[in-house]
Amino acid sequence: MRPTRILKAETFRLAALFALLFLVLTGTLIATVLWIVDGTQRAALAAANDADVETVMNGFRDEGLEEAVEVVKQRLGPAGATGRHKHAMAPEAYLVIENGHDILAGNLSAVTCQQGLFTLALPPSGRHRSRQILGRCAAITDGVELFVGRDTGPLSATRERILHAFTWVAVGTCAIAVVCGLFLGRRFMARVDAVTQTCERVIGGRLEERIPLRGRDDEWDRLARAINEMLDRISALLENLKQVSSDVAHDLRTPLTHLRNRLEAARTSPADVQHYAAVISHAIDDTDQLLSMFSALLRISQVEAGTRAQTFATLCLMDLLEKVYQLYLPVAEDSRHVLSREFKGPAWVRGDEELLIQMFSNLIENAIYHAPEGSQIRIGLEVSDDGAKAAVIDDGPGIPEEERGKVLRRFYRMSSSRSKQGHHGLGLALVAAIAQLHGAQLKLSDAGPGLRVDIEFKRVTSTQGS
Amino acid sequence: MHGGTVPKAGARFMYIIVRPEFYPCVYIPRFTLTGVECTVETSSSPPRLLLVEDDLELAQSLVERFGEQGFTVNHVTDGRTGLNAALDADYHAIIVDRMLPGMDGLDMVKAIRRQKSTPVMYLTTMSGIDDRVQGLEAGGDDYLVKPFAFAELLARVRVMTRRTVFASSKLSAGSIEIDLVRRSVTRRGQFVELLPQEFRLLEYLMRNVNRTVTRKMLLEKVWDIHFDPHTSVVESHISRLRARLNAGCDIDAIQTVRGIGYRLLAPN
Repeated sequence: MRPTRILKAETFRLAALFALLFLVLTGTLIATVLWIVDGTQRAALAAANDADVETVMNGFRDEGLEEAVEVVKQRLGPAGATGRHKHAMAPEAYLVIENGHDILAGNLSAVTCQQGLFTLALPPSGRHRSRQILGRCAAITDGVELFVGRDTGPLSATRERILHAFTWVAVGTCAIAVVCGLFLGRRFMARVDAVTQTCERVIGGRLEERIPLRGRDDEWDRLARAINEMLDRISALLENLKQVSSDVAHDLRTPLTHLRNRLEAARTSPADVQHYAAVISHAIDDTDQLLSMFSALLRISQVEAGTRAQTFATLCLMDLLEKVYQLYLPVAEDSRHVLSREFKGPAWVRGDEELLIQMFSNLIENAIYHAPEGSQIRIGLEVSDDGAKAAVIDDGPGIPEEERGKVLRRFYRMSSSRSKQGHHGLGLALVAAIAQLHGAQLKLSDAGPGLRVDIEFKRVTSTQGS
Repeated sequence: MHGGTVPKAGARFMYIIVRPEFYPCVYIPRFTLTGVECTVETSSSPPRLLLVEDDLELAQSLVERFGEQGFTVNHVTDGRTGLNAALDADYHAIIVDRMLPGMDGLDMVKAIRRQKSTPVMYLTTMSGIDDRVQGLEAGGDDYLVKPFAFAELLARVRVMTRRTVFASSKLSAGSIEIDLVRRSVTRRGQFVELLPQEFRLLEYLMRNVNRTVTRKMLLEKVWDIHFDPHTSVVESHISRLRARLNAGCDIDAIQTVRGIGYRLLAPN
């Protein structure tokens, strides 16, 4: 796997994005923490300074200026008098000055007093680094000023420690995010590759290839299952197509052979115009039969393509069956069959009127065709909570149980009816295709005697109504 | 293209009265006892057809056979030329293939319909339900799927080019009269009882009186059925209609045209 592919992977990009987001959040957090800690520490320094100023002032109030100077000296410790440089690094800084320049006590060389708290910058001296002193001035008496301050060194030390800790945390998080991103990206890519490779193999012609499932029922397995089911469906359709192609080739060859033989015989045998006319008329009939077979095949494939389902409307099944009944009543009478109907209430279905009429027409014609004269043909409609069940029942010879599944296939003709003319063996295949398009169950059963064809439609839910 | 001289669909009647010389058909208003009845009759010149078809062999055969039947056929092979021809001259009917070079037959018919109401018949290999519905929605008047019998095409074109427009609720043909509002039928003044679909069948035959209508046309126009039944559906219904209509009469009103269809005869 090339690294650029991982960098392009969605998972990795997401991990990188989260790492960046985390960095921004960490930065905000650090700033807030620093601001709070800094504020607290400065407040503590200021309070300590105030307490010192108060002590010195108390000394002055009780016993005068000398006592105040003494307090400062005590604060500076026993070495206070020996020289302020020794105490250059002491955290506290004191200075008592008279008239702005005479130092009475303290460990600083000079101070320019300002209003309130201010920061005094001490340049580096000797081996000591530069320091910041936060302090304030107070007037002890006329001309005598006191400065009390404290080193801000601990403040910056704390700040540095916090920054240091947070930096490590941030670096660690980023590293984990990158590692996780790479890991997840790899896993993601591995799954994608599995799907892609299977698809490529299918494209390459190996239609039996399927995406392996991991058995975890996660989104990957669901995707893989959906693709596998899609491939199953495509394979089945292709298989069907192969079957149909060979059936068509076979079933068309027979009538074409007859047609050709008849025409050839007419050409070679000396005959009169009447004979020719008869042969031509016969040939046109043969051609029409072939064409009707073609249009039936086309209709089946159009129905199986499923596009008609987009224009389904809500139809009254009883009205539709009544129409078919009225259409075939005279036909049945002429062929000496008894056509009757029994509708138990109206039923609403979603469907294509033209196709449904053709479906029921095919079933009735099938019954007229196969059942002998005098047979009863009944059209039934039952309505239940689950949906509607339409039935076409005859008391003819029926279909043996082992052949019931096969008669729904294209071009399948039972051996008993094979000799009959004018039937191309596509009627029930079209019925099956139309039923499937409507999501209806097609069942062939024994009417004892005869054939019973049930078509069970699902109930129309209110959301489907138009 | 034609400026203001072309009538909009639906405004044909008014236009004919004002400018009859631009229209191929002549309306002859006829006042009968049942009301005003206007028949679109062909003028004395032979009926003119425009055939837009890129299959030369088929087109040549159609030109010849329509010629034998007294039609003048102008044949063009692509959609654009067809559209120009349809807009430049007046025809009694236009026969259009759906898949044409230059311009799709469907678009061509839509373009013609924006300016003219000449009857249009599709002649096509596109046999799907959607194809037919699309074709008729685009403004076509009839749809015939290839391959077809010439007799079928001829019957349909004849019905198309000689449309009878009845302004009355009553139709009459010879001794038969029907009342479309009351749904009643009389023959020689005697009431004839008909079932609803027998009535519709008779109505269609009466609207095309003295013209051959094919079984396929009857299935489509009377029952709205667009597939080939394998049983004699039309024959059975016609025989029942005949029996009821001819009861007590010695003349059969419905003539069978062998191998093609039927014709309701009304002697003038």
